[in-house]
Amino acid sequence: MENMPGKRGLQIRSLISVLTIIVLWEAAARAHLASPLFLPAFTTVLSEWWSTVADGSLPFDLALSLLRAAIGLVLATAIGIPLGIAMARNRFLHWLFDPVIALAFPSPKIAFLPIFILWFGIYSVSKVLLVAFACVFPILIGTFTAASSVNRVFIWSAASLGTSSVGLLFRIVLPAAWPRIFASLRVALPVSLITTFTAEMVSGGGGMGATLMYSQRFFESPTVFAYILTMLGAGLLLDGAMLKIQQAFPAWLPGH
Amino acid sequence: MQALRTIDLSIAEGEFVSIVGPSGCGKSTLLYVVGGFLDAQGRVLVDGSAIEGPGTDRGVVFQEYALFPWLSVRNNILYGLERGSLPPAERSAIAERLIGLIGLEGFEDRYPRELSGGMKQRVAIARTLACDPAILLLDEPFGALDAQTREVMQDELNRIWLATRKTVLMVTHDVAEAVYLSSRICVMSARPGQIVKEFRIDLDRTIPREQLVTSDAFNRARNEVWISVRQQALAAEKSSHAPA
Amino acid sequence: MRQPDRFSLLWSPLGRILPLVLFGLVWQAVSILGLVDPSFLPSPARVGYAIYDLLTGREIRDNLFITLMRAAIGLALGSLAGIWLGAMIARSQRFRAYAAPIVAGTYSLPKSALIPLFILWFGIGTVTTVCAVFLACLLPMVVNTAHGVSSTPRVLIWGAEAFGTSPKAMLWHVFLPHALPDIFAGLRVALGFSFVLAISSEMIASTNGIGKLIFMYGENGAYDYMFAAIACIVVVAFLADRLLLTLTVEGLRWHESAERQGVA
Repeated sequence: MENMPGKRGLQIRSLISVLTIIVLWEAAARAHLASPLFLPAFTTVLSEWWSTVADGSLPFDLALSLLRAAIGLVLATAIGIPLGIAMARNRFLHWLFDPVIALAFPSPKIAFLPIFILWFGIYSVSKVLLVAFACVFPILIGTFTAASSVNRVFIWSAASLGTSSVGLLFRIVLPAAWPRIFASLRVALPVSLITTFTAEMVSGGGGMGATLMYSQRFFESPTVFAYILTMLGAGLLLDGAMLKIQQAFPAWLPGH
Repeated sequence: MQALRTIDLSIAEGEFVSIVGPSGCGKSTLLYVVGGFLDAQGRVLVDGSAIEGPGTDRGVVFQEYALFPWLSVRNNILYGLERGSLPPAERSAIAERLIGLIGLEGFEDRYPRELSGGMKQRVAIARTLACDPAILLLDEPFGALDAQTREVMQDELNRIWLATRKTVLMVTHDVAEAVYLSSRICVMSARPGQIVKEFRIDLDRTIPREQLVTSDAFNRARNEVWISVRQQALAAEKSSHAPA
Repeated sequence: MRQPDRFSLLWSPLGRILPLVLFGLVWQAVSILGLVDPSFLPSPARVGYAIYDLLTGREIRDNLFITLMRAAIGLALGSLAGIWLGAMIARSQRFRAYAAPIVAGTYSLPKSALIPLFILWFGIGTVTTVCAVFLACLLPMVVNTAHGVSSTPRVLIWGAEAFGTSPKAMLWHVFLPHALPDIFAGLRVALGFSFVLAISSEMIASTNGIGKLIFMYGENGAYDYMFAAIACIVVVAFLADRLLLTLTVEGLRWHESAERQGVA
């Protein structure tokens, strides 16, 4: 619509926004507009953050949470993509799983956490499986939609050129569907993080969420803020990484 | 790059003026300036006073997509009237009359998505006419339609113009269409556009289309205008290949 | 894809429920055969009885009502604020320049991470839950509304201006109607979020609500009731989603896509 500022301009404005918030935050805290319990100064948060990094507790928690999220995401991908493709090619499978997916998709997966805890305990296994459960649906649906909308013409051309069924899958369907599949992975990433953090907050068992709740219970506000900021940073970095991967990859794939 | 060079154009009341020219010459831009949507150096005077932006005195019909998709045919036509001061009963009466004028009785409650291209443009014309503007600005109104529908719509427009004698400024890329409908044709050069030639067209528009289009007078006029436009188009080609 | 005739029966409404029935039968068989410890996986019969007991009792109705109220209030507030913000971002370049990075930032932050902060500020209870839901619903509404408003075709805007529409009226007469499909899409996402955040917040810290109820049953070992409560919320979330879809189809009767069926 109107002129967009260049990329540089955008980055500068982002920086200004962020810096403004930080400055206001610090000023408000220093002026004791609210008790330090509610609003610790930014500098206090920063120093608390540094000390948790230095003593290794933050990196450990972060690594644990990220590991859980990652394994859950990988599991979801390993199930979701093949199943999505299979459902796209086989009407019976589609029929079999469709109502389960339709029912489960809008439901809050976190509600199933108690079941996973019941079956797998309060430590990592239950969390990883819950993450997988939560992430499999967007990936499955995205893959199914992508695979079932691959242009007929591509498939027919390949088939008439003598491509086998398996060959069709890997050389036509997957490359054509890949951009949408990758998009669903990108959607699943924040889901994996949210689910992990929430599960940790609810049931403990180590990780960012657990420590976050622990700090809150003991009114350690700077730690609460520090951990939240770390989660924000982790989310930003990971999504940025996904974006980079997306941009690097599919230059040679059809459909671009 | 400049879209338009200096334009000095006067249009008398009741005239039907068409602007033709090679693609991208800025004819639509000129129309948008007259409509008040784009600013330009200089002034646009209507009845001696300068315009201040878009207004209901200059009704506009765009090429497509201008109907509000979320309003029915009737509500689209009523849209302009709602800003006015007429009582509801009168507004409805005007809308009914116009729906009859464009021949869409029975379609009052349909949505634009249910209409064909020609029907949509009819509604667009009716909507513009509802506010009874003194001036009609038409931006390639039939450009998005297929050939047959285009001819039908041209006849419609001709009929409406003969009945209402409004002042019309139309932009079109179709020279035959311009000759068929206009009393005056301005040919624009390529970008930055300026009016390089004017043609007065004096045809009897009350005779049937078949007669008019096959007549010598029509074809002579059409050839002259077409050659003029073609010259501009070729000049544009040449200058675009010329060394910078 | 055309289906051979003998399979068309499978896709009738009854046929589509059949897989669920099959899974239920498998579940029942597993329970009867004693393949799993019944305390880990109560039989469908026991869960069914628990559901019946819950529905006829007050516990689930009261708690469900509380949870739905919290979700609904957060959803309503978040959506309204999100629509307003999205429209502002789309229409004002200056606003967009400063607001956009904040909006992008909140995308990467799991909103449930803010729950402990809200507990710190507001204590345990409804305010915390509503805040969390509010923030979660904000983003999808902002992004979708902004997209819908900024993609309004120029001729639509000019057309309205030519008919004397004032700048203020433009929002209601042109921009929001045009953005309606996007707004509905955003609402569907926000609806899902509202359930997730409401339940999460109640599970983390609350004295009531369905999330708390589920956890309580778990801690007390009443697993059949736990499964029953979870089943209830799943069904409610599903029905809420269907309701929104129906409203969407109704509200978008005029849209080009109305020819096709509602999205699955």
